[in-house]
Amino acid sequence: MIPLRKALSSSVGKKFIMAFSGLCLGGFIVVHLLGNLALYRADGAAFNLYAATLESFGKFIIAAELGLIALFLLHAISAMLLKLNHWGARPERYSVVKSKGGESKSTLASRNMIISGGVIFAFVILHVWSFKYGPGITEGYTAAGGAHGEIRDLHRLVVESFHNPLIVSAYVFVMLLLGGHLWHAFWSGLQSFGLTNPRYTKGLYCLGSMFAVVLSVGFLMIPIWIFFDLSTVLLGAIK
Amino acid sequence: MTTFNFDSKVPPGPLAHKWDEHRAHIKLVNPANRRKYNIIVVGSGLAGASAAASLGEMGYNVKCFCIQDSPRRAHSIAAQGGINAAKNYPNDGDSVFRLFYDTIKGGDFRSREANVYRLAQVSPDIIDQCVAQGVPFAREYGGELANRSFGGAQVSRTFYARGQTGQQLLLGAYSALMRQVNAKRVELLTRREMLDLVVVDGKARGIIARNLVTGELERHAADAVLIATGGYGRVFFLSTNAMNSNGTAVWRCHKRGALFANPCFTQIHPTCIPVSGEHQSKLTLMSESLRNDGRVWVPKNKADVKKNPNDIKEEDRDYYLERKYPSFGNLVPRDVASRNAKEVCDDGRGVGSSGLAVYLDFRDAIKRDGANVIRDKYGNLFQMYEKITAENPYEVPMRIYPAVHYTMGGLWVDYNLMSNIPGLHVLGEANFSDHGANRLGASALMQGLSDGYFVIPYTLGHYLASNTFSKVTTDHPSFAAVEGEVKKHVASLEALGKKGGTKTVLEIYRELGKVMWDNVGMARTEQGLKLALKRIPELRQEFWNGVKVTEGADGWNKDLELAGRVADFLELGELMARDALDRSESCGGHFRLESQTPEGEAKRDDEKFSYVAAWEFKGVGAEPALHKEPLAFENVDLAQRSYK
Amino acid sequence: MSNTSQSRHSMHLTLLVWRQEGPHKPGSLEKFTAKNVSEDMSFLEMLDFVNEDIIKSGKRPIEFDSDCREGICGCCGVVINGQPHGPDRATATCQLHMRTFKDGDTIVIEPLRAKAFPIIKDLVVDRGALDRVMSAGGFVSVKTGPHADANAILIPKPIADLAMDAAACIGCGACVAACPNASAALFTSAKISQLALLPQGKPEAARRVTGMVEQMDKEGFGNCTNIGECRAACPKEVSIDFIAKMKREYFKAMFAPMESAAGDGGA
Repeated sequence: MIPLRKALSSSVGKKFIMAFSGLCLGGFIVVHLLGNLALYRADGAAFNLYAATLESFGKFIIAAELGLIALFLLHAISAMLLKLNHWGARPERYSVVKSKGGESKSTLASRNMIISGGVIFAFVILHVWSFKYGPGITEGYTAAGGAHGEIRDLHRLVVESFHNPLIVSAYVFVMLLLGGHLWHAFWSGLQSFGLTNPRYTKGLYCLGSMFAVVLSVGFLMIPIWIFFDLSTVLLGAIK
Repeated sequence: MTTFNFDSKVPPGPLAHKWDEHRAHIKLVNPANRRKYNIIVVGSGLAGASAAASLGEMGYNVKCFCIQDSPRRAHSIAAQGGINAAKNYPNDGDSVFRLFYDTIKGGDFRSREANVYRLAQVSPDIIDQCVAQGVPFAREYGGELANRSFGGAQVSRTFYARGQTGQQLLLGAYSALMRQVNAKRVELLTRREMLDLVVVDGKARGIIARNLVTGELERHAADAVLIATGGYGRVFFLSTNAMNSNGTAVWRCHKRGALFANPCFTQIHPTCIPVSGEHQSKLTLMSESLRNDGRVWVPKNKADVKKNPNDIKEEDRDYYLERKYPSFGNLVPRDVASRNAKEVCDDGRGVGSSGLAVYLDFRDAIKRDGANVIRDKYGNLFQMYEKITAENPYEVPMRIYPAVHYTMGGLWVDYNLMSNIPGLHVLGEANFSDHGANRLGASALMQGLSDGYFVIPYTLGHYLASNTFSKVTTDHPSFAAVEGEVKKHVASLEALGKKGGTKTVLEIYRELGKVMWDNVGMARTEQGLKLALKRIPELRQEFWNGVKVTEGADGWNKDLELAGRVADFLELGELMARDALDRSESCGGHFRLESQTPEGEAKRDDEKFSYVAAWEFKGVGAEPALHKEPLAFENVDLAQRSYK
Repeated sequence: MSNTSQSRHSMHLTLLVWRQEGPHKPGSLEKFTAKNVSEDMSFLEMLDFVNEDIIKSGKRPIEFDSDCREGICGCCGVVINGQPHGPDRATATCQLHMRTFKDGDTIVIEPLRAKAFPIIKDLVVDRGALDRVMSAGGFVSVKTGPHADANAILIPKPIADLAMDAAACIGCGACVAACPNASAALFTSAKISQLALLPQGKPEAARRVTGMVEQMDKEGFGNCTNIGECRAACPKEVSIDFIAKMKREYFKAMFAPMESAAGDGGA
């Protein structure tokens, strides 16, 4: 038996931590996107109600948030520790580097997880700061919430934000990076746990890529959708 | 010429019981006392690694020296075909006696009966040992080990791991060795080259080694020295041996008094990729299993040799092996196949740009079995061939030519694998003991592991227990004296560059190789051998008069390393030519044109030459003394080999 | 098809070769011209050829490692234009032939770079770290001597074949050199997998994976981030599926029975 502390501080254990936290965060992102699908409706009621329902869980939601923060920090800190280790593992760089192709999964994305991850890290702070802690009921962002009474009109805040071209382009850019990150992450997380098998390695990698594309496109279309008011435009075109 | 005055220590009794009786009666070292003995093992191939691992496991203090950066690089790794063992799993009539008989007959009756029998006897244990170590031998669908026939044997007794049997067996021995390194029972010294043997009071008590990274000379003292440094085939410059394979360790032992036995017995492997130009640094062997399906031929007419082979009509092709040896055909033993290739090329019918190649054609096999069956069997070899030659052997016949592959000769050892210098033991290809004048396919791996795993662990204990050892440390004056000589030698090599010579070491080396190949190669004549005996001292003179050598003995310097090895080859080559000249019979790989049957086969002269020629060093350029160990055959009839 | 012909071309190349006097000395790329290089030369023969000229001019030749020159010993290995063992797949440097290059090409030649592989001189590196990883568990603890008959334990052919796939590793270190993180995961996992697959290696599988991974970390190799460049550079095409196998073995080892503190004792 390997003592847990020793196991988790080994190179294999560190990757278990990365994979575990990463796969959990991946799960969160899926749930997050599912909720945010409500933003594709021009009418903000559904989205506001979704947000209000989450808030109404009270302590549970706080616990979940703390858990998420912990996972997030775990993922980020382990990543930085790993990266430091990698720089140390090859102090003198090559003057030329070229992939040999073939079965290599070396892509711009897989080689720069720390960069995409770093940007996402900064993004998440800004994202939480601007929406979760952005203007609320006291600032007049109110909506009717049925059983919940008067609730925060988060939808308005989102729509306002996503009419700023700067914010929209930033979001699109970050969501592309997220896609790249997930492209490698899904397969890598499973491989780190040894959950791959030659019989379906290719399939898993494809599945991971599709997962990345769906999530990335799902998220990045939201600001574009709102900026160009596509629900009105498209629905208008249909009518 | 003197009669033999060294005891071969073959135990008495019937052949089949010799080894068991011997093991039952030789002395043992008490387990608690083993740690008091220091053992030096030079070389980390199959023989060296298996010996060092086994002795370490038993409790001796072992130092293992390795010329490369890791023991796993040793050239045993390049053996492709397999390892023989008398397991008789296929139930096709194999037995210990049959393996013994095939080996001694294959060696053309120039090896010691008792040694060969022991080799056959321990062969099944080797397979058990390797399987227990986790060597992934090929298996049948039922889960049992797979066997194949190899090198013309009439039974399937060869165990294999794809085309990488040597690699897998070496990695098995290497892993056993690394286990002892981890247990601190073996100290591993990599990138060290043994440059001399230290003899104290008539016993081998240590070595002087050069650290190839720092250039430092190191003294190492021990109670026994084991040499397992492989063969000296690189005396021919071009061979299938690795770049670091060399004859220096055995040659230095020889110069310190160890007898060199049958130096002229060289194996020339028939299926190698031909030389492509002057730049060639070494040759690549293609497993002889290819001859199971490939047909060897050359054009009947000299005018056709430059033609595209596929345009040469069936009736214009000479399938000379099938023509001359109807019953064995393309599967004749290595020496016979090699000699015939040389003959047709000398006749002007060789193909390829140099005219020194014959075709090995798979056209008919592909037609018969389909390309896929051939791909399954030989895919990796075909790929290797294409990588080197840029020709596709599925479409154009392969071109092959013989190349030096193995040296059956080596330091003389007795039944206990000890040389005539007490304490100096010699294992594997470095000794002369088991293959006579020709080695059968898949027998080299068997001998290396037999010596290391199953012979030396017993016989070394016997030597240690039967002798008393005065305390000898590296401070002993003998160490200082030998180190001084080595230092002088290295300095004189380094000084060669200042003498104004224009040739490089490599250029002299190539010339030596050509002299050896032309005169001490596949077909030898009195005239050619005398020419070699004249040319080699001349080359040696030219070398010592000055060659371009890169300066710097105080650090990593490949050029200087090579100079040292070439200097030794320039002496060893001469001994080989002398031995070949002296043995005016033909036997196995040693073919004297003067001694052949009317059909052109090797003709032995058992009356005059049924002996081991053990040479004693008498000084550089001086005529060595020949000692003869008579070979007695009590259990086999000496027959003329026939593969018709 | 008529490639048995003699019309071999020779070419002129520019080499940029890493030159470094010793382990802690500074190094840099030095330019050499290689004239009349035959396309039949192997890459190492080309270096031999260039070295002959250098030696003749009284300068210090380019130092590089090589031994068997038939792609099995794992001794050679340099990084050619940013690719360990050069552009060809499933090929060691010694088997790379100059016909892969074109007349006028510039070739950058660097050593296998990793903190765990200190440079000895020029292109020669010390790969002793890999030996130490092996000695930390890459074996089956059996004594030399009589064992059960080799056929006493049956091993299914697919398992034996898979073990052989892993065992094909030649320990050249190209995986480390190719990995963006200088990880030795492919090398280490190949041996762990070979022995974990075979019944003979199973009894000490947990000990082995624990020891070898610990040593791998100690040597200063980086972590595997599943990029798979190692597989692409591997001259024996050892699969990264074995890295997954290593992870599973490690996970299992985390829950394997503890070794008794009392030791083996003995009567």
